[in-house]
Amino acid sequence: MLKANDIGYWYDRQENSLFEHVNLEFKSGHSYAIVGQSGSGKTTFLSLLAGLDKPRAGQIELNGEPINQLGLTNYRRSHVAIVFQSYNLLTYMSPLNNLLTAMAVTNSSHRGDKAFAMDMLRKLGITDEQMTKNVQKLSGGQQQRVAIARTMVCDAKIVVADEPTGNLDEENTQYVIEQFQKIAHEQHKCVIIVTHEPDVAAACDQSYRLAKHEFTVEA
Amino acid sequence: MNFFKRAWLNLTAKKGRSILLILVTSAIMLFVLAGLLIRNAADTATSNAKQRVGATLTLSANREAAFKKMRSGSSTSKTSRPKLTTSPVKLSDAKKIAKLSNIASYTATVSTSANAKGFSAISTSGSSSAGGMKGMGGSTTSSGDIAISGVTSTSTTSAFENSSSKITKGRGITIADEGTNNVVIESELAKEDGLKVGDSIKLKATTGTKQTYTLKVVGIYKASASASTQQGPGATDPSNSVYTSYTFANTVKGTKYKNTADSVTFNVSDPAKVSAAKKAGKALINTSRYSLTTDDSSYQTVKASMANVKSFADKIVWLVAIAGTIILALIVILMIRERRYEIGVLLSLGEARWKIVAQFFVEMVMVLVVSIAIAGAGGKFVGNQLGKQLVSQQTTTGTMSTQQGPGGGAPGGNTSDTKPAGNMQGGGAPGSNSSMSSQKQAELAINVTALDLVELGGFGLAIMFLSIMLASGGILRLQPKKVLIE
Ligand SMILES: Nc1ncnc2c1ncn2[C@@H]1O[C@H](COP(=O)(O)OP(=O)(O)OP(=O)(O)O)[C@@H](O)[C@H]1O
Ligand SMILES: [Mg+2]
Repeated sequence: MLKANDIGYWYDRQENSLFEHVNLEFKSGHSYAIVGQSGSGKTTFLSLLAGLDKPRAGQIELNGEPINQLGLTNYRRSHVAIVFQSYNLLTYMSPLNNLLTAMAVTNSSHRGDKAFAMDMLRKLGITDEQMTKNVQKLSGGQQQRVAIARTMVCDAKIVVADEPTGNLDEENTQYVIEQFQKIAHEQHKCVIIVTHEPDVAAACDQSYRLAKHEFTVEA
Repeated sequence: MNFFKRAWLNLTAKKGRSILLILVTSAIMLFVLAGLLIRNAADTATSNAKQRVGATLTLSANREAAFKKMRSGSSTSKTSRPKLTTSPVKLSDAKKIAKLSNIASYTATVSTSANAKGFSAISTSGSSSAGGMKGMGGSTTSSGDIAISGVTSTSTTSAFENSSSKITKGRGITIADEGTNNVVIESELAKEDGLKVGDSIKLKATTGTKQTYTLKVVGIYKASASASTQQGPGATDPSNSVYTSYTFANTVKGTKYKNTADSVTFNVSDPAKVSAAKKAGKALINTSRYSLTTDDSSYQTVKASMANVKSFADKIVWLVAIAGTIILALIVILMIRERRYEIGVLLSLGEARWKIVAQFFVEMVMVLVVSIAIAGAGGKFVGNQLGKQLVSQQTTTGTMSTQQGPGGGAPGGNTSDTKPAGNMQGGGAPGSNSSMSSQKQAELAINVTALDLVELGGFGLAIMFLSIMLASGGILRLQPKKVLIE
């Protein structure tokens, strides 16, 4: 459903491009891992998939339509959910309000459904007491689970995550890996995870390595 | 509408910051309100002054022309003292003017003096040798120790109209007293000489045949303490001022004054028609001998001082509004920098940028509502203090101008026409009663009305809108990628 069509990206000059002529396809119901050395451009690539930036060359297409044409804001709102290493939650709200806000902003089909949001938080191990206090009072692992719950209450069919387990201990990492696989396989979404961790990459259906300005399929 | 909820959640979650914002905004709003209040009060005071004092016309001798004549006459001889000859106003002229459609009523004033006979005048101070009956023989001046104000009726004279004098016993002089020897005396004089309503007093003219007249006391009035400032040079104590019918005053002055008056004041029914009435009136009189003036000097005084207060208040309003906008814009810019992460998260969720700007605006409007309530409570106090300061500054400079009320200053001044340089006639001397009146009229009534708060709200909204607009460049340019990938 999501296609990178001959895309290239560089920050200052084309000679220093991070990658060029990239052609990759991501399907719904599948999970993908993107690995590579630090500084290779994984995060940059993911931000293009997430509609946070435009490629310098080529296009990203959603079901055949260039996302530029959809409008990046519109694309982010309706089609993609983002999880970052630093949880990216609204810090002045409770976990529940974070979910309700995201549902309202993205015009989710469950918009305003408080019970649905609470159910999702419970499924990810957030207690009723935790979900109404300020989100900053939760641990890193709990906050990351809230961020994941947020992607699950929105209708977006594409979920991108940048090192979602980077700040988590082993137990939490394992839990988060499982949740992402469930999102792909049970909710039939397209999950794309940038990671350094072999465990995370191994759990995904497919891995791409970014090295020497090129993506290669990992065995 | 989701941004309303976010605004509320943000303000309630960050209480400390919200309280600080409210305090800063309240301070700015308080100054804007104070400026608005003073400006509005100055406006009201100015229009009130116009209502009050713009409605009279005064017919009197044309002193300017008379002075000119006096100077040209004196140029031939240096030794003889020049004499100022002014013509008393003819009542027939006054009656013609009174028939004009906009004139509601008129009051004639004749001032003269006579000596007390058979009772004592109040002596002002020890240094004055001409006290009481002994002064009778005094040959220094032709003025007597009792100042006589001949009027058509006391109730329409300025002293009674502005309540600086009040009838305490008996009655005042009315039009029905024309041709009688009825008199209204001051309470101090009555006390000193044991005079009551119904008693008779005797006055001896100082000019002409020096005839003695018997008058009947029909009323006693009390002059307020501040009236004691109404003293021209050579005047006796203000308690020695008596009111009679203008016909009696004319009789004392001499036969040639019959059917004349020093000045005649006309009340104009519609204040807006004053200048029209003046024009029509001027057509009826000999303008080289008489002048018809609108009484607006005190209005001009109030207007000038209020114009100063108003322009200062305007400056306060604009300065504070501009400074407030800059301060709030800086605060909002800082706040937006601090909240880059939050903005990035919202942008990554796909929130429209204008809705994020709207959230900040709603937050500031919520702060503004609380601040206006606080400013409204404190505004009356600050406005009053500031207004008092301004007015006291303005009136000290304003007292130099004089008030020429209807027959203003006449009761205190001796206005016999034989006086060498009759420069006191009919006109209040500088500083005679002007300080009292201008202070009274320049008072600012500071009140916080719902309309003021609405106006303040308008200013506040404009300030908030401008500061958000100035700061929103940051939001509109912010790249969510830069915020989130760090
Ligand atoms: N805003 C920027 N301006 C210029 N260069 C940048 C910018 N952001 C990143 N880079 C450079 O682009 C390259 C790729 O950065 P990117 O963050 O995509 O790498 P990454 O693969 O995600 O690395 P890591 O594994 O450490 O997260 C880096 O060399 C980095 O220095
Ligand atoms: Mg990275």
